[in-house]
Amino acid sequence: MSGVRVGNRVIGAQAPVIVGWENIPKVEGGPVKQIFFTWFQPTMLFALIAFWFYAPNSIAKASTAIGIGIGFKVLLLGLEWLAPRHESWRLTWKELTTDLFYVGIGFTVVRMIDSYIGDGAMIEAIQHSFDWEKFAWFTGLPLLVQALMISLVFDFGQYWMHRGMHNWHPLWLAHAPHHYITQLNVNKGAVGNPVELFLIGLGIGGFFDFVPRAALLAGAFGLAVGTYQHINVRFNSPRWWRFLFNTTEHHSVHHSQDYEASRSNYSNTWVIIDRVFGTCVDGEAELLGMEGGRPMSVRETMTYTFTEGWKSAKERFGRRSMGAMAPAPMVPAE
Amino acid sequence: MTAAATTADRATALDSTSPRASLGYSVYRRFIDGIWHVEGSLALVPGDSADDAFDRLDPLFQQTGTTRDRAGNSLTFRKQGQPAQDKMAVFDGGVLRIEPGAAGLVLRYRLASRALLFCFLAPLLFLAFAQATIVLGKFEQARTEAKGKKPEVKKPPVVLNPIDKALGAPEPDPPKKKSKKDEDDKKPSPTPAYVFAGMFAALYAVGRVLEDRRIKALFRRRLLGA
Repeated sequence: MSGVRVGNRVIGAQAPVIVGWENIPKVEGGPVKQIFFTWFQPTMLFALIAFWFYAPNSIAKASTAIGIGIGFKVLLLGLEWLAPRHESWRLTWKELTTDLFYVGIGFTVVRMIDSYIGDGAMIEAIQHSFDWEKFAWFTGLPLLVQALMISLVFDFGQYWMHRGMHNWHPLWLAHAPHHYITQLNVNKGAVGNPVELFLIGLGIGGFFDFVPRAALLAGAFGLAVGTYQHINVRFNSPRWWRFLFNTTEHHSVHHSQDYEASRSNYSNTWVIIDRVFGTCVDGEAELLGMEGGRPMSVRETMTYTFTEGWKSAKERFGRRSMGAMAPAPMVPAE
Repeated sequence: MTAAATTADRATALDSTSPRASLGYSVYRRFIDGIWHVEGSLALVPGDSADDAFDRLDPLFQQTGTTRDRAGNSLTFRKQGQPAQDKMAVFDGGVLRIEPGAAGLVLRYRLASRALLFCFLAPLLFLAFAQATIVLGKFEQARTEAKGKKPEVKKPPVVLNPIDKALGAPEPDPPKKKSKKDEDDKKPSPTPAYVFAGMFAALYAVGRVLEDRRIKALFRRRLLGA
């Protein structure tokens, strides 16, 4: 496998990756199917934006957003079932149940931990020392500008956290289990060690004060764009969409078995952040995972971060203490 | 043919597929075993031998992470680290045996699934999380009361931008004093844990029926070419 040169890197030398939008297959089928899968993404995004912009205050609240989020994911699961992108990514009962287990852990244990040491707790502590009058300018901005700023600032934080996870060993130990998934489905974003779920949930967008409606609008970007990272459906995403936003194609490259390809497309929603920092690779991959596609069990996913962390620490610090006791290295005679 | 499954494994597995009455299995034990075991039988195509049947089924056991052992009219298999794409990924082991039936040879199988067992137990785990949330909530309440109320952060009233006003967005509600209900809403709630407990109970019921039918259909397709 020779791979394709993208900037300074060679993508697809270890595992098959399609590079370049012009090489990605289109939705196959009749005109109705073509129209549906071309317009579905923008229609849902603009419908959600319009809904949150005009919904009366009695409806525009977090509980409605949770309901819409669940409904939207059920709809996408239905699309996965009706029109799977890859047969090899088809959702089985076992995969669905396993994915939902991680979703459940995120909604219960991780949320509980988050309430003590997560960004919410940190922001609340810091907010008590703010002079709120100084931040009135932000809440006075147009709602959509506020929403875009919240979404971009949050995603900017996530981009660097995610990039850090791929470049710093202690963070990688938390993130690695997520990269053992071998297919993309709607709930696969939740698959991973709870430490990672906690870390990736840390956001800096919350330091701003904003009109609650702006936060709901920002959430619409996350739901109607970010959700497509992990999904087994092919869309004919418009050119402007795939230029601005992260897509299934981008994220499949990130999850590819090819090492260089996996070090790309770190953002959650705005792939334009990757374009700015030179980490974007347009393309797609079907063969995903680590170690040649070795699956990771739930037990290993839960313990990997700690067991590998312990091994790494022992290796590093053990070696150092051994080094202190060892005699000085032999220097060859001149 | 691989022979990774040990003789001891085979003996245990074969025992477990023997008619239960002769082994003295109680109804209670049968019910417990049925939680994570799927069993069934299928008549072979008239004229097919045991070898023919196992040859047709063989591709199902030539998967990554699968070891199998043929001994006469029975086949024992084990799966470890089976990929998600394996059609039998939900099962971790089992025994298939060809036996004479009333109208010819019959394939009888008994397969074990840890995924079914874990899904059966998952509601208990989430109920435990719910109880832990309630206990922590009570502990937190006592701690907050002992600490006294935090001073409320004063926020200026929010004024809608003229562009939003022109576009017809509703005016935000004026800031209100935090009520007890608002404080309660902030507390960790056991509701998600209860919801997931219910969800896994439903998933188990669906999976136990679905995987039973799916494996039967898979074997039938292989054996009968249907």
